[in-house]
Amino acid sequence: MSNVPLLEVTNVNKRFGGLKALQDVNLSLETGKLHAIIGPNGAGKTTLFNVVTGTIPVTSGRIKFLGTDMTNDKIHRISRRGLARTLQIKSVFANMTVRENLWIAAQSHHGVFSPFKSWKKCVRSVEMADIICEQIGLTSLADQTASNLSHGDIALLEMGLALATEPKLLLLDEPICGMGPAETEQTVIKIQEISKSTAIIIIEHDIEVVFKIADEITVMANGTVLAKGTPESIAANSDVRNAYLGDDDDD
Amino acid sequence: MRVTDTYKFGSWLLVLFTLTAPWVLPLLVDSFWVDIYSEILIWSLLAASVNLLLGYVGLLSFGQALFFGFGMYGVAIGVVKFDLGFWSAFIFGISLATGMAAIAGSLAVRLTWHYFAIITVVFSLIFYFTALSWKPITGGDDGLPFTIPPIISFGDYKLTMTNANFQYFFIVTIVGACYWLMYRVINSPLGRAFVTVRENDARAALIGLNVYLIRLTAFIFAGFIAGVAGALFALFGRYASASYMFYHVSGEAVVWAIIGGVGTLFGPIVGTGLMIVLREELSSVWDHYLLLVGVAVILTVIFAPRGIGGAFKALAEKIARQQFSRKESGP
Repeated sequence: MSNVPLLEVTNVNKRFGGLKALQDVNLSLETGKLHAIIGPNGAGKTTLFNVVTGTIPVTSGRIKFLGTDMTNDKIHRISRRGLARTLQIKSVFANMTVRENLWIAAQSHHGVFSPFKSWKKCVRSVEMADIICEQIGLTSLADQTASNLSHGDIALLEMGLALATEPKLLLLDEPICGMGPAETEQTVIKIQEISKSTAIIIIEHDIEVVFKIADEITVMANGTVLAKGTPESIAANSDVRNAYLGDDDDD
Repeated sequence: MRVTDTYKFGSWLLVLFTLTAPWVLPLLVDSFWVDIYSEILIWSLLAASVNLLLGYVGLLSFGQALFFGFGMYGVAIGVVKFDLGFWSAFIFGISLATGMAAIAGSLAVRLTWHYFAIITVVFSLIFYFTALSWKPITGGDDGLPFTIPPIISFGDYKLTMTNANFQYFFIVTIVGACYWLMYRVINSPLGRAFVTVRENDARAALIGLNVYLIRLTAFIFAGFIAGVAGALFALFGRYASASYMFYHVSGEAVVWAIIGGVGTLFGPIVGTGLMIVLREELSSVWDHYLLLVGVAVILTVIFAPRGIGGAFKALAEKIARQQFSRKESGP
């Protein structure tokens, strides 16, 4: 069996003017693992997600997804190939119901937009929306407008939007940011459930959660990869400790 | 009464009035109001075209009169210069408008908000001045009058739009077909994609929607609707004129759409009807009646951002909720 890595990031650089947001980042991620990226603020974690999903172009370097080069490809094409993400600043379709939100995400994955059929008759997407609703635990709120949801439910819906596109790889950008302890626990369980069927890369500041759920951790600081390994090896790494204690933060 | 029943009641009332207008209006007011109502129906399509963009994909166009003008000139030039028949001239006008929308749209929808609004104004100004100065083809200032060809002719028998009732129902049929088409598209997967892009274009791209293509499709569809309006107006007035391509006309359509209610299907008819009746009644007695229009727009934007249509919807929902809660608390 050819062992094509799910996501392969090779020598990626991203500069914003004089600021080097990413410097020679190399990452190779295998299928079927829950991968976490941690690092202090400004380490380049979200920038990495942005270049991988095509939201911003890379300055140099290559990004391969399932062996196909998709560096600087269009956002919607990358998404249709099976790479979904959630955003740090939660963003859903506010004036649509939960069901409609999930429906359009499921439908857009197939990319067929008949102008005359009634949208409610697109059975596959309707069913998919119901399945995802169940999966993220929002069935009782399915007909609520998204703008009426609580912060925690919006975070779940945001994850549901990504899941409805049936991704092969899911990028979660601080999924439990701003949640209370009970919500956090539930969401963590959900993420673990999802990771059984879908590869996940998660950016998270809650170190406790990360060490509990991740199979593999990448530590970033100042736009570079500082260390990569199992939770145990990362916990013992002295470079990582320095980065978090912040003794050489300036370039 | 359920919410949907209230909608249905409102819509059926509108349909019933439209179908009986040639007989009802002369009984109530002067018979020239039948013509004014025809005009309202035609212009409402231009407002509907603004509404498609603003209410469903979230693009504010100040240039829809351009496509109205292309539809209009298409018919007039078709009849005068190419000697086309009724239907071929009609289709020629609409195709011209739709084609122009495809060209203008492919450039314009790369931009959003004020940049988009400005580029649509620029497009319509370019063609306004072209039409004004290209006298041999467009007639310039004088416009381009034409004699209307018969719709169907069997030997001596000719059916033409000179028959007032026939003309009215021809307009009603075409306008009705356009609203039916918009209804279908809005409730289709494509229509859902329009709304999704309006709600959050960045997120829409992340779930796999081709935002550019969706906006372009909406723009071409809106151009088509404006083109139908222009072609109908040319047949109704028997002439085409550059003045209908001026951005002032586009601006009026935006006002009608906002007052009627953006994002509602029949809002544009209500808004257009109200503003045209207001114009007919007030402009003769008060020169500065536009002040009132301005105030109406400001009040709508502040207090009823979804216009009359949106207010009607909110009222219907409120009534439904009250009845529901009374039923809940009842025995």
